[in-house]
Amino acid sequence: MKVGLFVTCLVDLVRPNIGFAALKLLEDAGCEVVVPATQTCCGQPGYNSGAREVSKTLARKVLAEFRDCDYVVAPSGSCSGQMKVHAVEDLFKGEPEEEEFRALAEKWYELSDFLLAVLRVDYTKLADERSIGTLTYHDSCSGLRELNIKAQPRVLLMDAGASINEMIDCEKCCGFGGTFSVKLGEISTRMAENKCANIRLSGAPMLVGGDLGCLLNIEGRLRRTGDETTKVAHYAEVLAGMVK
Amino acid sequence: MEVRSMHFKATASGKLNDAVLQGAMKKAKGKFVDGRAAAVAEIDVWQPMRTHAAALRDLTIANLDAYLLEFEANATRRGAIVHWAESAAEANDIIVRIARDNAVKIATKSKSMVSEEISLNDALDAAGVEVVETDLGEYILQLAKEPPSHIVAPAVHKTKEQVADLFVAAHHKPRLTDIPSMTLEAREVLREKFLSADMGISGANFVIAETGTTLTVTNEGNADMVTTIPRIHVVVTGIEKVIPTLEDFATLIRLLPRSAIGQTVSNYLTLTTGVKGEGDLDGPEQMHIVLIDAGRTKLVGSDMQEMLRCIRCGACMNHCPVYQNVGGHAYGWVYPGPMGSVLTPTYVGIENAGDLPNAATFCGECQVVCPVKIPLPDLMRKWRERQFTQQLRPWSERAGIAVWSAFATRPTLYAWSTRVAARVAALLGGAKRRITWLPGLDGWTDGRDMPAPTGKTFRELYAARRSGGGRLL
Amino acid sequence: MSARENILRRIRSQSGREGTTTDAERAAAREHIAKHTRGPLPSIAQGDPVERFVAECARVKTSVEQLASGQDVPKAAAQYLAQNALPQRAVGWSALAGLDWQGAGIQFEDRLANKDDLVGVTDCFCAIGETGTLLLLSSPTTPKLHALLPETHICVVSRSRIVTCVEDAFALLRKERGELPRATFFVSGPSRTADIEQTIVIGAHGPYRVHVLLVP
Repeated sequence: MKVGLFVTCLVDLVRPNIGFAALKLLEDAGCEVVVPATQTCCGQPGYNSGAREVSKTLARKVLAEFRDCDYVVAPSGSCSGQMKVHAVEDLFKGEPEEEEFRALAEKWYELSDFLLAVLRVDYTKLADERSIGTLTYHDSCSGLRELNIKAQPRVLLMDAGASINEMIDCEKCCGFGGTFSVKLGEISTRMAENKCANIRLSGAPMLVGGDLGCLLNIEGRLRRTGDETTKVAHYAEVLAGMVK
Repeated sequence: MEVRSMHFKATASGKLNDAVLQGAMKKAKGKFVDGRAAAVAEIDVWQPMRTHAAALRDLTIANLDAYLLEFEANATRRGAIVHWAESAAEANDIIVRIARDNAVKIATKSKSMVSEEISLNDALDAAGVEVVETDLGEYILQLAKEPPSHIVAPAVHKTKEQVADLFVAAHHKPRLTDIPSMTLEAREVLREKFLSADMGISGANFVIAETGTTLTVTNEGNADMVTTIPRIHVVVTGIEKVIPTLEDFATLIRLLPRSAIGQTVSNYLTLTTGVKGEGDLDGPEQMHIVLIDAGRTKLVGSDMQEMLRCIRCGACMNHCPVYQNVGGHAYGWVYPGPMGSVLTPTYVGIENAGDLPNAATFCGECQVVCPVKIPLPDLMRKWRERQFTQQLRPWSERAGIAVWSAFATRPTLYAWSTRVAARVAALLGGAKRRITWLPGLDGWTDGRDMPAPTGKTFRELYAARRSGGGRLL
Repeated sequence: MSARENILRRIRSQSGREGTTTDAERAAAREHIAKHTRGPLPSIAQGDPVERFVAECARVKTSVEQLASGQDVPKAAAQYLAQNALPQRAVGWSALAGLDWQGAGIQFEDRLANKDDLVGVTDCFCAIGETGTLLLLSSPTTPKLHALLPETHICVVSRSRIVTCVEDAFALLRKERGELPRATFFVSGPSRTADIEQTIVIGAHGPYRVHVLLVP
């Protein structure tokens, strides 16, 4: 089974550790993982800024790069939503390339979904070696509402021995929103602050999520407000035993 | 209503720091969101109902002319006079003329967002007609000389202390801060107005083609006073409000109050069909229905036509994390929240409302709760596309996208530039690995640190690992 | 060109249709209307409509008293008024004038309600189980103001006239009346507002109390 890893631009640049954690989880499950070296970005930042044509160019690039893979997996609900939903339902809808993008969408999985639905991993055996402890989970919007990623990361984490203290409004947007976080920074910051308040209320020493954009936003606000202790990690890092 | 949407960012900033507003918004959020969730959970066919409602709205809009003509024919047959207005000014002229022709002195009004769009109160005021808002929330705002901040709960941003001050100034009675007593005081003041008005003005939640009927939905019963007691009843509504049948009303009315405030049914649903008949003891002698375009036809047949499905429940704003934090006034025109961010640019011009389609994280909650399945994030994105192609966003934003496109589409350049960026940013991050200020990204760094990269990109580390031949580092 | 013609023409040209609305298009709209297509009905609306009505009335704060006979209405009304410290005096619809109000000690007036009336008595065209709703139709003998101006509205509802849902009410209305009257008035509980700090207050502009006397 040849699995293409779509690393995502943020992971590539800011936290490569998440990419390696994803790689480890896939390889441990017996996948042959390929990482096309030319990959850059799924095109979502342009798409959501109104730059439709360039986002189509990038989508085509992704399509070509992963053509030979049986599956494509990304440690992000947001990039996955772009390729599984927006490319098919909007960008290439009614165009000659629609079928190709439908085929790509079919074989494209968000990481936690892939681990559970396709690889059917059993992480209960990890429970002894990991000692993950208590965490609280933030549901990122695109994964949750576009791809229905809700139970998957929780099941994996709990199988691996984590105990989850759900926070209030765990499904509420953290305020990241891509370029929104810079264009309307003050509102974005307030939304991040609301999220941080709920994390504090949960009492958990670690915040886990599945999209690096949200994690950077939340971590940035925690640190700015003097919280030096709450760990912020991607679920792949937690599951792979690679939290830094 | 005066357009102030171009000041969104600045106004929003003020609202974020307005402690009274923040308290009021927090209180409202729980009631709207939890209330809706509980009401929706009871309905096993909620999704099929949404689908049915969206389809019936689409079918009507696709044949809007035929259904409007059907409505007009049936309303006319029942004795109503149907007027058509292309613009706000035309609508106001029609209503002022009706008032003048009938020597109207006092008009009572039940809530109508369309009348806010066209600034009807100002027009009637200028014509010497005393207009009294009778929805309690609208009445409070009329006293405060403020526009509504929410389409269902117009005074949601006001605290009882603020309302108490307004009542003292207007009613010249002792200051009350107990909400039931305050409500009773307003009831007594407004009761006199209901009984003395010559003209009643209402909006219409829907107009029904089959029967030539207009619908008002209230919990207070004020629309019933307004449409029953005065000798003249004027309905102001948008042309998109027409629905084919009474059965369609039945479906939509299951969705509307549940979506709006988590109510199974509103207290008063009134279908008004024509004028007082022979022998009737109550009801108006004249019924005028003013059908307003004012920008709506621009949406017909367009790639944003889905917006015309909107039934004005307010669920999109109630659930919007941006609205929840800044309130309705920040949006600067009649319609706040996601539906407003689509409608306002349509009705007042994107050049006057450029920030609105950008005031969203595309979290998608609005689309999930919309009872008629309007893809609100997609429609906001369409506005962003128009802004991009028409170069309507600030140069810094456009430059940012241009640079990003140039790099992201060229893998070699991208690999090189991210290598450099990762190193520079790691240096900037220092020992704590956080960037606290970054020019051009101050929108982020003003309120948050930027966790810094570790120094090398994934692709570099991965290439090194490959050449090293091992599995994981 | 009039505003009407301009608007209609714009609607058509925007959707890529030339000219004015054709007879065939009008006929298609009428045909669609004539089908009276119903939407999905929630399961909670189904089951025994009377039971449902009583349960839903509780939810919307309409009080209900079940009576063995229509003849018991005046006595039950008198008791209700006494319990609520209200005067034994009411303005009501003509169809109810024949009941023995005097015998129950109530001064019943068959005339239009005005602002000084404290109690209005009506019956209804039908009631709707799904939402605990009273459906009142206006006519020369059934003015709407009786259910609106007085602080207390007493409504006589026949168990046999409780239908399942709004659609069934319309079917009944079409069958028995043919057309909608001037005012088709759906009342679900007393008037209320939550416009000050989302605090629900009963008795905004309409009645503070809605009391149903349920008769066979």
